[in-house]
Amino acid sequence: MHHLINKHNEEWQLADTQSSDQAQIEWRDAENWQPGQALKLPVDAEINAQWSQASIIGIDFPALTDGRGLSLAVLLRSRLHYAGDLRGLGAVHEDILHFMVRCGFTSFELPESRDPEVALSCIAPHKQYYQSSVVDPLNQFDRV
Amino acid sequence: MYQYTEFDRSFIAERVNHYREQTTRYLDGKLSEDEFLQLRLRNGLYLQRLAPMLRVAIPYGTLSSKQLFALGKVAREYDRGYGHLSTRQNMQFNWPELAEVPDILADMAEVDLHAIQTSGSCIRNVTTDHFAGAAADETIDPRPYCEIIRQWSTAHPEFEWLPRKFKIAVTGAAEDRAAIGVHDVGLRVHRSDQGEVLFDVYAGGGLGRTPVLGALVRSELPIEHLLTYLEALMRVYNRYGRRDNKYKARIKILVRAMGVDGFRAKVDEEWAHSKNGPGTLPSAEISRVEAFFAPPNYTEQPDISDALAEQRLANPKFSQWLQHNVIEHKAPGYAAVTLSTKATGVPPGDVSDTQIDAVAQWAADYSFSEIRISHEQNFVLPHVPKQYLFTLWQKAQAQNLATANARLITDMICCPGGDYCSLANAKSIPVAEALQERFDDYDFQYDLGELNLNISGCMNACGHHHVGHIGILGVDKKGSEFYQISLGGHAGHSELAPSLGQIVGPSIPRAEVCDVIAKILQIYVDLRIADESFLGCFKRVGMAPFKERIYAPSH
Ligand code: HEM
Ligand code: SF4
Repeated sequence: MHHLINKHNEEWQLADTQSSDQAQIEWRDAENWQPGQALKLPVDAEINAQWSQASIIGIDFPALTDGRGLSLAVLLRSRLHYAGDLRGLGAVHEDILHFMVRCGFTSFELPESRDPEVALSCIAPHKQYYQSSVVDPLNQFDRV
Repeated sequence: MYQYTEFDRSFIAERVNHYREQTTRYLDGKLSEDEFLQLRLRNGLYLQRLAPMLRVAIPYGTLSSKQLFALGKVAREYDRGYGHLSTRQNMQFNWPELAEVPDILADMAEVDLHAIQTSGSCIRNVTTDHFAGAAADETIDPRPYCEIIRQWSTAHPEFEWLPRKFKIAVTGAAEDRAAIGVHDVGLRVHRSDQGEVLFDVYAGGGLGRTPVLGALVRSELPIEHLLTYLEALMRVYNRYGRRDNKYKARIKILVRAMGVDGFRAKVDEEWAHSKNGPGTLPSAEISRVEAFFAPPNYTEQPDISDALAEQRLANPKFSQWLQHNVIEHKAPGYAAVTLSTKATGVPPGDVSDTQIDAVAQWAADYSFSEIRISHEQNFVLPHVPKQYLFTLWQKAQAQNLATANARLITDMICCPGGDYCSLANAKSIPVAEALQERFDDYDFQYDLGELNLNISGCMNACGHHHVGHIGILGVDKKGSEFYQISLGGHAGHSELAPSLGQIVGPSIPRAEVCDVIAKILQIYVDLRIADESFLGCFKRVGMAPFKERIYAPSH
């Protein structure tokens, strides 16, 4: 089991994993996936235009230090214009969440061993950032 | 200098708070050793077996007096009265208490300093020419672009977890004092005939185990595209750089595996999607940042050539210092001064709190409150009116910071080596000291002229031995310390293209190092033509005559 973190009314929250829409996601890998289904990707996946039709996409992080999933998320958002839920899976760690959020992730499976309250408390350590990002296309330069 | 905005200040303060909270979680057992390692590295804290170390970022090596005074305070209150100038223009402190680091960082934040991304597999503090904005041979001041890169790379969401560390250097002068050829990305900034700011982008350089010179991947990149292009390049590296073996994880290995053309094509393909996108730099922003680096208010200076001539005549040491440690400035009547930390008997780059305070005060008095740290591990006062040179020299002498050896053999770069570093194969500081003692004679040094001697205690190459005109590398031979000598390397500090040193021959025990170096110098003296430099001579005659005579049986 794991904790599910997602957004509700624009606020990050610890979601109820038992609720009907979260209880049984049937993840498919890219080979066995059809439009409309839930797609689970490894961090080294090469993007495919069809994927924008997934019901949800999960990216499976092998380690907290593996940044490939961040680039993949950016590509899904900016290149494929995927607009659905993008979920961090695997080695999701509370201190990486804020990077993941700015790369376009909208929900997270936090491993059972991690404290979801801590995760929620450090999901947005900064009010503003230096760079533009897929969630905040405003330039660092428009800010000033 | 760049001045922090309210945004910069609150960002740094938030970062300190976040790190404080991470430290607490670690101390409470909620973060494992490995998890915390990644977080503390990105906040500058190394825990060496022998010496814990905090590396403070000095963005592109530029500091104000106020900031340097604050660093002196850290040396006094948290270290044992010392700081260390690093080859990447940063400042390092040893022995910080892990639990106190958030307090040190909070003190630093008070003066707009931080330790973000000074270690770990992320984009590191950007470096540049330590004479930027001052040197007479500069075509364009690189600092505004360094600042733009600093802002862009700070906590970049996509590039915080790269396969390996990533170092960017920028130069804008004829002589490349930033060593852009040995960086993951090196940028040469210049101006088109129409006045447009352009960048030549080199990628895949680096030292370490596999020394490589960067390859030109794009020339004449217009400034507005700088960040989108860098982003495309970083994305290719982040996605395809090797993560299975940390010795093969630097971008140089990726560039080699893909081939320069293959790498360039991949970056261009990526860039085609983002070019002109949201990361494109608006000209208003470029001018805003450039304005911070407008020249200080230079004033008209009296002609003091007569007085200087007299002072030189009466003080031969002052005269030597002027010749070696003072360079021509863009502005008439001003000079840029190198305050050498390489006095005999002092580990290269080590400075005491008293010295730090003194330099901060001199900068306030004589250099528009500005200080630079050079990658040769010296302090630089970039804008000193010539009329104060003599006074400054006298004060520097009293602080043991007036050694007249800039760019000479005793101005060595040397890593901490076996005395402090658990990865070392051999000690390096005692070798540096022995060489300094041996070649202490100034007439001899001056006769040799410009000569970079670099020492690393192992192949990680923190002492840049590959790009020393003479390089010394510590190796382990059946448990005892040996040294491998190489010749002809250089980082680009001349009209010549940068090059990596060639190994002379079998390694030698510590006791023979000084003699072998002395032989090498003698061979050079015998072979040089007129005032040919060591490097020039080596390039002309090649390795053969050196090899022959170094290993010739002695009689
Ligand atoms: C005492 C502890 C130190 C340790 C354990 C250490 C370790 C290392 C390692 C493992 C590398 C190789 C990284 C790679 O190949 O990717 C490296 C590179 C480097 N180190 Fe250190 N280092 C230490 C101190 C220093 C100091 C004090 C300086 C500055 C004076 C320094 C400057 C550098 C530089 C500039 C490089 C980069 C060379 C390159 O471009 O590959 N290091 N260090
Ligand atoms: S070169 Fe080797 S011995 Fe020297 S500091 Fe780096 S890792 Fe340590």
